[in-house]
Amino acid sequence: MNSKVHKELVRFLQQVLAALKEDDLDTLKKLSNQATETVALYKDMDAVSVAVLLYSLFKVSSCWEQSDKDEIVTQLKIALTSLQKNSFGKYNGAIKKLFSHVKSCSAKVKDHLSDVMQAARIKKSTILFQKGLSIGQAAGLMGLSNWDLQIYAADTLSAHTEKIHAESRVKQALHIFGAT
Amino acid sequence: MKKLFFDAGPIITLALSNLTWILEPLKRQYNGRFFITPSVHYELVKRPLTVNRFKFEALQVMKLIRLGVVEVYDSPIRGVKSLKALANSSFKIGNKNVDILQEGELESLSCALEHNTAIVMDERTLRLFIENSSEMESLLGRRFKRPVIGNAARIKEFSQKSSGAAIIRSIELVSVAYKLGFLDSYIPKGKLGREQLVDAVLWATKYNGCAVTIHEIAEIKKFLLT
Repeated sequence: MNSKVHKELVRFLQQVLAALKEDDLDTLKKLSNQATETVALYKDMDAVSVAVLLYSLFKVSSCWEQSDKDEIVTQLKIALTSLQKNSFGKYNGAIKKLFSHVKSCSAKVKDHLSDVMQAARIKKSTILFQKGLSIGQAAGLMGLSNWDLQIYAADTLSAHTEKIHAESRVKQALHIFGAT
Repeated sequence: MKKLFFDAGPIITLALSNLTWILEPLKRQYNGRFFITPSVHYELVKRPLTVNRFKFEALQVMKLIRLGVVEVYDSPIRGVKSLKALANSSFKIGNKNVDILQEGELESLSCALEHNTAIVMDERTLRLFIENSSEMESLLGRRFKRPVIGNAARIKEFSQKSSGAAIIRSIELVSVAYKLGFLDSYIPKGKLGREQLVDAVLWATKYNGCAVTIHEIAEIKKFLLT
């Protein structure tokens, strides 16, 4: 694992644990967005996994009972200490259990896991697109196709300035097609 | 014979808007050939064929290819790697380059440059980079929480290399189709029929993926209706 990604993931896990201690679930979403920036910079699958996991946990948090939260905190602690000790097998095991937990929670809130995960990936992709990455790059980093992202991208298109006026571009198109 | 190169985005927009059929009369009007590159073909056909949600759209694109409306470009594509290297080393956060574009997205641009022709592209990032690189830098700077540093020399070199390509979007294709009367059968009865059609078709392209601002839609609508 890239040393900078490693450092970032340790920080995310520490902050998630601190946020859960305070029942501050919005921080999960914020940290997921920060993890998405790490994805944009390092194109790292572990960062993708954490970004999607944190957003998925945020999405299903409404169904948590105390026992769910305790289990999530336990696995997050295992993930953190394993990562700090470079014990990647154990780290991956903990992340896998956390995703399984998302699955059981998503069943409780009657969402299919695939829907939650797909929504999380699309959400993270749109954030990458908003940051200025191309549709192909933003979709590709989250394992999606351009088709998945394109309709959502239109809604999240941030204000930008076009150098060529729309009317000029239409006139140019009419010229290209010999329709002037 | 004239050639026009298509990125994946505009064909996705047209497919999602039920408008792929306009490509056939547009091609006749153009009196040339419409091409997609192998990467675009993968994105438009091979990939969506594996996703239930987009299988039918993939079949629509396959039909366009089967009918010869759109052809897959099979000649070697030169210059993609150098454009990619330039684009993806133009902006840094800390000491890390931001990879903003994929190789496949640059294939259509390389082809258009080689044949000195136009490109149809809905993608905002590459278009801004080609036409307005300072806006590209400011977009990245606004959206990332960390400072973005542009490499002026590389940005300039990319702009110079790619400046020969005229870019139009799916919304311009639809506008041409409207001007040529291809969409007339959709005009509802009544005094405001034309306005309703223009409004509907322009917003459809926006919401199905064409990177166009609200202000531009108003400008295009005004132009088409006067």
